[in-house]
Amino acid sequence: MSRFIATRAIRGANRIVQEAEDLLEKALAEHGPDTKVTFPNTAYYLPVILGLTGREVATLGDLKPALAQAGSLLHPVPRDQLWTPYLGEALDGGVATLLAEEAIMGIKYALGEQPERLDGYPDLVTAGGEGYCNGPIDDVQLRAWGIQLVDGRMPGFAAIVGAAKSNEVAVKIVRELQMRNILVFLCGNVNGRSIIHQLLEEGVELGYDTYIIPFGTDTISAIYPLGFATRSALTFGGMKGGQAREILLYNKFRVFAFVLALGEVDDLKYATAAGAISYGFPVIADTVIPEILPTGITQYEHVISMPFDDIEGQDDLERAERLVQKCIEVRGVKVKIAEIPIPVPYGSAFEGERVRKDDMRIEFGGKKARALEYLLMRDPDELEDGKIELVGPDFDEVEEGGAMDVGIVVEVGGRKMQKDFEPVLERQIHYFLNAAFGVQHIGQRDIAWIRISKMAADKGFRLKHFGEILYARFKGEPWNSIVDKAQVTLITDPEEMKKWLEAAREAYNERNVRVAGLTDDAVEEFYSCTLCQSFAPTHVCVISPERLGLCGAYNWLDCKAANQINPTGPNQPISKGECLDPEVGRWSGPEEFVYQHSNQSVEHVTMYSIMTDPMTACGCFECMVLVIPEANGVMIVSREDPSMTPAGLTFSTMAGIFGGGLQTPGAMGVGKYYLTSPKFISADGGFKRVVWMSSFLKETMPEEFKAVAEREGVPDLIDRIADERSVTTVEELLPWLEEHDHPALKMPPML
Amino acid sequence: MAEKVEIPVQKWSGRVREVTLGATKEEGGTRTRSVTVGGEATLPFLHFEGELPHPPRIAIEIQDKKPEEWSPLLLKAWEEVIDDPAAWAKKAEERGADLILLRLSLDDAQGEENTPEKAKSTVRRVLAATGLPLLIFGPGQVDKDNELLVAVAEEAAGERVVLGVCEEKNYRTIVAAALAHGHLVDSRTPMDVNLAKQLIILIHDMGLPLDRILMDPSTGALGYGIEYGYSVMERLRLAALHGDTMTQQPILVTPGEEAWRAKEAKVEEGIPEAWGDWEERAIMWETMTATALIEAGADVMVMRHPESVRLVKEAIDKLWVKEG
Repeated sequence: MSRFIATRAIRGANRIVQEAEDLLEKALAEHGPDTKVTFPNTAYYLPVILGLTGREVATLGDLKPALAQAGSLLHPVPRDQLWTPYLGEALDGGVATLLAEEAIMGIKYALGEQPERLDGYPDLVTAGGEGYCNGPIDDVQLRAWGIQLVDGRMPGFAAIVGAAKSNEVAVKIVRELQMRNILVFLCGNVNGRSIIHQLLEEGVELGYDTYIIPFGTDTISAIYPLGFATRSALTFGGMKGGQAREILLYNKFRVFAFVLALGEVDDLKYATAAGAISYGFPVIADTVIPEILPTGITQYEHVISMPFDDIEGQDDLERAERLVQKCIEVRGVKVKIAEIPIPVPYGSAFEGERVRKDDMRIEFGGKKARALEYLLMRDPDELEDGKIELVGPDFDEVEEGGAMDVGIVVEVGGRKMQKDFEPVLERQIHYFLNAAFGVQHIGQRDIAWIRISKMAADKGFRLKHFGEILYARFKGEPWNSIVDKAQVTLITDPEEMKKWLEAAREAYNERNVRVAGLTDDAVEEFYSCTLCQSFAPTHVCVISPERLGLCGAYNWLDCKAANQINPTGPNQPISKGECLDPEVGRWSGPEEFVYQHSNQSVEHVTMYSIMTDPMTACGCFECMVLVIPEANGVMIVSREDPSMTPAGLTFSTMAGIFGGGLQTPGAMGVGKYYLTSPKFISADGGFKRVVWMSSFLKETMPEEFKAVAEREGVPDLIDRIADERSVTTVEELLPWLEEHDHPALKMPPML
Repeated sequence: MAEKVEIPVQKWSGRVREVTLGATKEEGGTRTRSVTVGGEATLPFLHFEGELPHPPRIAIEIQDKKPEEWSPLLLKAWEEVIDDPAAWAKKAEERGADLILLRLSLDDAQGEENTPEKAKSTVRRVLAATGLPLLIFGPGQVDKDNELLVAVAEEAAGERVVLGVCEEKNYRTIVAAALAHGHLVDSRTPMDVNLAKQLIILIHDMGLPLDRILMDPSTGALGYGIEYGYSVMERLRLAALHGDTMTQQPILVTPGEEAWRAKEAKVEEGIPEAWGDWEERAIMWETMTATALIEAGADVMVMRHPESVRLVKEAIDKLWVKEG
C-alpha cells in the first residue's frame, strides 16, 4: 500500500480513536454508564461494532470495551525510514476508525446531538426530521432497499464524501448515479462546504423517495453507509454479529458500493477510506492522491485518483459524467438498459421477418453495395461507454430502394473479455439487428446484407439506431457478464470505410489462422454441453477445438464464452487430465466427466473413433456417420437428405435408432464441420474411410472438402465418394467403389 | 418348502437434505407445529434399504378469492368456505392437510387489483386461522409476484413460509425477500434435470441456505406427460442418492393443479359413457396422479380435492410400513 496513504490513515485513526475516548469519558462523567445508546429504528445495536466485534452496545458503559478494542488495532505512524508494506496496519487503522466513529455517533445520539441539524435549509426533510440530516437508515428501509440490491434492480450504492467542484457538478454527479438506479449516500465536507449544501442550494430533493440520503456534513457520518452495509450482511447474508471476516467478504462480493471522495482528502478521510476498503469498497478521488492499483482486498483497484480538471471532456459536466463512469467500472457495477431507444418495435418475434424489394427503403451490402461488421476488443480505458457515432452521411440522400455502403464497428471492453470472444460476440450482431421490426439481416463479416423497410424509415429509423440496438444488447444480459463497456461506430464515409474494411479483413484472417491453429493438443480444457439432456438424459457432448458439438451450433470458442457468461450453465470446462490413448483420443478428464454427467451410465468415451467408445448421440446431430462393413468404410448422411441410404435406413430412422443418448460403436452423430477436421475418426483411418456421402454436403461445402481431399493425399477423393444420386443400396455401392478405385477398399479392415 | 429370497440392497452414497417448513413459537413463529420433509437415504418406501425419516406430505391449495376458473366439483367441495381464505384454510386443516398453500390472485373478489396491503391482510388472516405451515405462491406474473411476495414475506416474518415460485426468469427478488425475512423458496423449472439443478445453484449462490429450498421440477397429470415428469423426478432423486449435492433437495409437485386441468377431470358432457361418474373420475384422476408422483420421490404434493387428499393419505399410510 502506498506509504503516504498508510501514514495518513494510521495518523487519522489514532486521532479519531483518541477523540472518541475523550468524548466517552466526558459523557460517562456527565451522564453515567447506564445511559442508553441506540440508533433509532434498528434492531442491530450499533451495527458496525456489532458486526465486526459481536458487541451489543446498549449503554454508554458498553462502549468502553468497544473502544478499547479499537485502540488495540492501532499501530504507530510509520517512521520515515520504514519501508515495509503498511497494508495490514492501515486496514487495522481503518477498522479502528470505523469503531470509533460509530461510538462517537452512538454517544451523540445518547446526548441528542444526532442526527445533524442543518440550519438555513428548510427544504431538507428526511427520516431524521424536518431540517435534519438522515442519521442511520432504519431497518424497514434497509430491507426494502436490500431486496432490490440483492435481486439486482439496484446495482449498488455510492458514498460521496466531501464537496464537488461546483454546485452544477454536484448535481450532475448525483443525476448520473440516479439514472443508473444507484443509491446515493452523502456525507463529509471540504472547508465546511458539503455536497449536501450544494444539492440543497440547487433544489435537489433528498430523502428515501429520491434515493439520495444526506447523512451529515462531517466525515464521521460516513459510518452510517457502512452500518447499512454491515446490516445488509447480517440481514441478507444470514451472518451473526462478530463474524467480521464473513461480513466483510459478503460486502466485497455482493454489495456493489464505492466511495467517491470529492475535494481534498484529510487524515480522517484516509482513515475512513481504509475502513471502507476493508469492506471491499474502492475509493475514487477527484483530486491528486497516490493510487493503489493492485487488487486484493477490493475486487479490482483499491484507490483511484482522477483529478477532476484533468479528466477529458468538453466541460465540467462531461467530466462529471466520466468520473461516475469510472467509479462504476472500478467497482464492477453492472447497469442494465431498460428499453432500447429506437422508433420501431423490437423483439425476437421479428427475427424471421423479410423485407421485400418493394417494401425496402434502403439496403446495405448485397449486390450493389458493401456492408461490413466487425467487433473488436479494446482496453476499457480507451472506450467511451455508450458512444454511438456516425461517420459520414445517413441514408436520407439515397433514393428509395437504393443501396449504400455501411461499416458497423463495435468496440467492447471488459475485465472478463477475451480476444477469443470477438467472433462469438460478432456473430450476435445478426440476431440483434434482425430483432428490430423492419430490419432484415443476412450474412456476417464483410458479406453482411442488411435491409431497412420503408415503414421503419418512415418512423424515423436511421443508422444510429443500429448503434442503439447493439449497445443495449451487448450491455444486456447475458452478454454484460463479459462486456463492461461498448461503443458503436457506423461508417458510410468512403475513406473510413476503406480503412476499416482493411482492418477487418486482416482481423478475419487472423481469426481464421487462430482457429486453424487451435488444436486439441494446444489446449488444456475441453468443454461439455449437456443442453440436450432434457430429452437425451445420458448424452454429454465433449467439445474440443477439433471437434465441435454434434448439433453444429457450438464450437470450442462458443463454449468457452458461454461458460464465462453463464458459469452454472450447460457448458462446463472439462480438464483433459491424463492422456490414456492418443490414438483414439481418450483422456481421463472427459472419461470421468461423461461418467458423472451421464447419470453414471456411459463409462468410456473417445474423441476420434467411431469403433471404440464413440461419443453418445443426442438426436439433433447435423450428420449421421455409420459404418458400412461391406465397404470397409463409413457413410455420412446429412440431416437435409431424406433419401434412402446404402445402409437401408433413412436419416430420420437412424436418428431414432442411434439418438437419445445412446453409445453405439459403428454409429456416430456429428456436426458437419467435424467432417473436415484432421481428427475426424482419425483412429479409424480418417476421411479416406468415407465411401458414401449425401450430395447436399458435397454441394454446400465444396471448398472445405476439396481441402480435406488434398490433405488426405487423394485430391479427387470427393469424386470417388458415392452419393444418393448414384447409389442407394449396398449392392450397388461395392461395384461403384471398385469402379472408382476408392482408397477404403485397400485400407486395413475396420472391424 | 418356501425358498428364502434375499433382497438385494443398494448402498447409496448420498442423501436428500431435510427441510423444515413453518416455525412454532419456540422457533420464532406462531405455527402449532412445523413440518420437516426430505432426509431420504434411499428410493421411496424402500425402508429395508435405507433411512426414510419423513413421509410425503400434502399441502391443500387454497386461494385468496373464489377461484372461478376451478372445476365446479372443487367449488362444491369447498362451498361453504370458498369465499373466505381464512375459513378455507381452517377447513383444509380439518380435512387432513399437512400444509396450506395459499395462492394469491391478480385481482380481488371485487375485480379490483390485488395490492401488497390486501395480500398482507389475507396472509395475516390465514396465519391466524390455521396452525399449519404455509406456502404462499404469487399469481404467476413476474411484476405482481414480486410486488406481492415481498410484502407478504415481511408480514409473515419468522414463520418460515415457502415463497413461490422462483423460476429462471424471475427468482432474485423472491429469494431476496426470503433472505430478508427468514423464509424458504420453491424453485421451479420445466421438467429438466439440469435446469432443476442450475436454478438450485443460482438460488444458493444468492446466499440462501440449501435447507431453505424446495425443488419443484414440475410435472404433468396422468395421461398428460406424467411419465416425463416422473422420469425427471426419478433421475433427480437418483442423482441425489448418488451424491450430487445440488439435487439433494426435497421435491414439491403440484398434482392438484395438473390433474384438474385434464379433460377427464374437467368435462362432464360429450364423453363416452364408459368414463363413468364425473366426480368419481375427477377425484381418481387427481389421486392417481399424486400416488404415482410419491413413487417418483415427491416430498410435498399440492392437491385440491379433500377426497383425493384422503385417498392419497391412505395410500401413503399403507406404503409407510417400516417392517417388511
